[in-house]
Amino acid sequence: MNWDAFLFGSSAALALVGALFAVGLKNIFHNILGFALSLVGVAGLFLTLGSDFLAIVLLLVYVGALGIAMVYAVMLSQPLDTPRTPRSAPKVLGSALLAALVAMAVWLVIRGARFPEASGILEVGPQVTGYRLLSNYVLAFELISVLLVIAMIGAVMVARRDPAKRAPAAPPGPRAAP
Amino acid sequence: MNWLHWYLLVALLLFCIGLYGLLQRRSLIAMLISLELMLAAVSLNVVAITSLSGNSSSVGQVVALILIGVAAAEGAIALSLFVAIQREVQSINVEDLSELKG
Repeated sequence: MNWDAFLFGSSAALALVGALFAVGLKNIFHNILGFALSLVGVAGLFLTLGSDFLAIVLLLVYVGALGIAMVYAVMLSQPLDTPRTPRSAPKVLGSALLAALVAMAVWLVIRGARFPEASGILEVGPQVTGYRLLSNYVLAFELISVLLVIAMIGAVMVARRDPAKRAPAAPPGPRAAP
Repeated sequence: MNWLHWYLLVALLLFCIGLYGLLQRRSLIAMLISLELMLAAVSLNVVAITSLSGNSSSVGQVVALILIGVAAAEGAIALSLFVAIQREVQSINVEDLSELKG
């Protein structure tokens, strides 16, 4: 067993086991931890493909930023001790069946497809990616930055408490009636 | 089966696990987690195909970077929406959010 196969196998196992944790466990915190584990595995797969920069960006954005934002959302929204109603068996079976069917169908397509061998120079370094981003794909780069700004402002606007709505809803405390 | 098929198989399994979670979970945050798993599977697919086949692997890098950016924007919007929904309805269970159902 060579080193490449070992790295690929361990990363893939990490990704799949983490995904199973992220989907299957009941506690939402365990789901988030499984999601982070799964994304660490995906970053390992990116490393085996030679794209180091992408692996680091994936770790930073998904595992770092998005994981922490999810924990914040859980803290702000969901009371963790509410009783959970049991899931109905037909729905679980139906979704498992649909996912298995999709997997079978796509796997048949992949098996039948012919992929050309890699012919060009493998250009995956951060220098080449940065050069391409600012020359060939500069429109996409600018659009994604505008999208990120809009998303950030929109997130603040959506999550902000409406001050006009909050004022009458405040319960009259002892300080309100001197 | 060569290397590319193994990568595609892992990405496919990841995608289908995410699809199963998206259909089966009822907490909005768990559904968002499943959706992000599916997006990660897609970017893994793109990177694997462009670096193991064809002749321009920098396209895959750029596409995956843009996918990560879109996923970050989507996650930020979705999480802030969940906080706002929780404030209005006191629940983020999708089965409680059926006011528009006829």
